Amino acid sequence: MSELVLQSIFSGLLMGASYALIGLGLALVFGTMKIINLAHGELVLLSAYIAYTMESTLGWNPLWVIPLSILVVCACAILVYFLVSGIQKNRELNSLILTFGIGIIITNLSLMIWAANVRSTSVSWFQEGVVLGFLYSMRSELLFFAAGLALLAIIWRWLKKSWYGRAVRAVSSHRDASKLMGINPQFTEMLSFVLAGLTGSFAGIAIYCTNVIYPPLGATLTVKAFIVTVLAGLGSIPGLLVGSILLGLGESLTITLLRPSLRELAGMILFLLVLFVLPNGLFGGARRRG
Amino acid sequence: MKIRIVLPLLVVLYVIVPVLWGGDKYVLSLLVASFTIAGVALAWALLGNLGGMVSFGHAAFFGVGSYTSALLSMKLGLPIFLCILMGGVGATLISTTVLPALRLRGPFFALAILAYSQIFRILATELEGITGGAGGLSSIPVLPKVLGYDFSSKLGGYFVAITIVLFFTWIYHLIRRSYYGIALRAMQESEDATRVVGVNSTLLKAAMLFISAFMTGIFGAFNSHYINFLEPDYAFHSDWTILPVVAAIFGGYRSLTGPLVGAVAIYLIDQSIFKNLIPSGHQFILGALLGAMVLFSPDGLEPFISKKLRWGKRAAH
Repeated sequence: MSELVLQSIFSGLLMGASYALIGLGLALVFGTMKIINLAHGELVLLSAYIAYTMESTLGWNPLWVIPLSILVVCACAILVYFLVSGIQKNRELNSLILTFGIGIIITNLSLMIWAANVRSTSVSWFQEGVVLGFLYSMRSELLFFAAGLALLAIIWRWLKKSWYGRAVRAVSSHRDASKLMGINPQFTEMLSFVLAGLTGSFAGIAIYCTNVIYPPLGATLTVKAFIVTVLAGLGSIPGLLVGSILLGLGESLTITLLRPSLRELAGMILFLLVLFVLPNGLFGGARRRG
Repeated sequence: MKIRIVLPLLVVLYVIVPVLWGGDKYVLSLLVASFTIAGVALAWALLGNLGGMVSFGHAAFFGVGSYTSALLSMKLGLPIFLCILMGGVGATLISTTVLPALRLRGPFFALAILAYSQIFRILATELEGITGGAGGLSSIPVLPKVLGYDFSSKLGGYFVAITIVLFFTWIYHLIRRSYYGIALRAMQESEDATRVVGVNSTLLKAAMLFISAFMTGIFGAFNSHYINFLEPDYAFHSDWTILPVVAAIFGGYRSLTGPLVGAVAIYLIDQSIFKNLIPSGHQFILGALLGAMVLFSPDGLEPFISKKLRWGKRAAH
């Protein structure tokens, strides 16, 4: 029994990196533009479907599809940015409705193009087991966990040190003041969308290789990204990572100890607990959300 | 609400439409479904317009209302119209679980309620002992005979739906005109300033959430007795959120009639044209419409048309 629990903790941990990447995109865009992109999960899923298409038609390995899907998803993210910035009044609420609409478009186009079937990769290399002591995992899970952590570390470093990374943080903390410092807020906002597209498309490929995909998954991923940011309290990348690992652990323990169909409830309960007990998130300071 | 407009409308809805299409089951079922959407759109717009909250979780209230009413009528054998009322009460009770999300403002509330709507679908599937699980409930009792008139027919369903929609529209009108309606509209300008003059803003917002959930639950309950079949994926389907949102935005959620007109237009066009052209995924057009409305005419179709008309007149001079 305890081995089973340890195994599920391990699996949950491995899921964490992808969730952190998805949550990061949502948090970055919220930081710079103060809007929530409800189509974020759908963009992540789009990247997974690009991998599926290239694999099933041309036989490409999903890993080689990463550059292509980054290109397509970032282009879509930039398009979303231009649409959102075209909103004239009451941007906070109207952007929600607009991105909700974009989410509907992407979900239904995927239904049209790829049908409602459940898809996953057929490259067997990914699915082969790796044994670490008594813990089992798929090759792809370990690979994408490590790569996801590396990507998070790079972005963290970039946000801390580079000029543009600091610009993103400056616009997040005070838009008008950052303008006075010679930062172009529009460009920075677009940059945050591109970053969200980049991390999202990577996470999409990871989900495709380690799990299964189907068109309505997009909305679930958006909710997961949201839960992760609520857990972390919008701020630091380490916080996001801890929040995502908590979500992953909650889900995999629910699958093991209760029932697989209750998986999505685990995140919700974590989310409700945090909402009741720590409204600023686990790592949020005194700042109120919203 | 001028009597000049209301009276002819009542005549059209209660006399002319039944006389013209009373025997056409296809037209009637389209109309009843579009009125159901219209009712949910009205409830959504009430929360959005008066409460200032965008909800992506009305499917939860709809589903809870349907299941409450269906189960009460099947297991306890209560009178159907009482069950429908209890469906509304059930949805209101469930909406109290959303209360902690009220302290989240704007975008966070919208996402929290999106998350909630997923919880209830999972629960309805998992609580097999009560809800029948994924297999669903069949042979839910039909609407009863009242005063010798059989409401279980398509035309009976039509009369019930239209009556509830009109009644709720009237309630919405009264709320909007009342002291509370004014306070709620003032809150959108500045919530802090409204609190300073002694308005309990959280309480009022909660009240709007309850009323909106109640109305949605009633329509869910009506729908379950009208179609006599329920399953979790149907009762909690995202359509019950998407269609009302599109309808309210399309018609203009700030006006009283906008959501109603929007719902009938959207549903009829979607079912009669797009569903035939594109059987799977036809809703992407609704998403595109939603985006286009937000970008080009955020107040809905009505101001957009009147602006065009004015522009046309000026050009003619």
